[in-house]
Amino acid sequence: MKNQETDFQNIYNQYRILVYNLALHYLQNMEDAEEVTQDVFVQVYHSLHTFKGESALKTWIYRITINKSLDFIRHKNSSKRFYVFGKKSNNEKEYLNASSFEHPGILLENKENAAILYATINELTENQKTAFILSKIDGLTNPEIAAIMQCGISAVESLIFRAKSALKEKLSKKFEEHRKKK
Amino acid sequence: MEKENWINSIINSTDGITKVIPDEQLFSKIQSRIINKEVIGTRWLWLAAASFALLFLLNAKAIADKNRNVVSPIESIAANLSNSNQLY
Repeated sequence: MKNQETDFQNIYNQYRILVYNLALHYLQNMEDAEEVTQDVFVQVYHSLHTFKGESALKTWIYRITINKSLDFIRHKNSSKRFYVFGKKSNNEKEYLNASSFEHPGILLENKENAAILYATINELTENQKTAFILSKIDGLTNPEIAAIMQCGISAVESLIFRAKSALKEKLSKKFEEHRKKK
Repeated sequence: MEKENWINSIINSTDGITKVIPDEQLFSKIQSRIINKEVIGTRWLWLAAASFALLFLLNAKAIADKNRNVVSPIESIAANLSNSNQLY
């Protein structure tokens, strides 16, 4: 039991920044990212004995974080739909604000552009969003992403390509609005 | 050209991003969630076990009561005889 506690604390110390930052890229809200980080480590604690070591621990933790983040977003979106005829929930307000999210780790001169990027990323499909975040923001290699997403490297390449194309298309529409504002 | 530059500047806006460090209290929050989950888990387990035991006892009692009320054929004939004193 004591060993399990020590192992868990070591895993937490090693992966807390990775989990928190990945959740932050998905959720674009500090409190939500903290909540998902808690969910991830609670699951890691309870499932550690079932981890077979077929993949690297890091890959396994990445997968749990991505699934928890996507579940969190789905849950929030379904609550949003539930409240569509009633009082607006706080969650909805938070998600409307998500488009103006300012990541605290982004260089000051890039903050405005990054807020536009995060808002546009939210319009991508789940798989494209995951591939783009892991590749472009988290800086993982295609084989690493393939291991996390449990698909082939060519599928990852295709997802990243489609994500970038979709982003460019959506941004090109936003450019007109941006120019009008200026 | 202006449009392309703008799009590229947006896509590359996360270059040089630094990692954010989570709150120091986060580990204790996780620990308390794990402990609470374990306590609730044990409590629910005992509640479920008690419910099953109660259900089993009630069933056993119902079967025992039913068996006690069943009158055997000989007892039934004897009762009829004592009422009428006639065999046919």
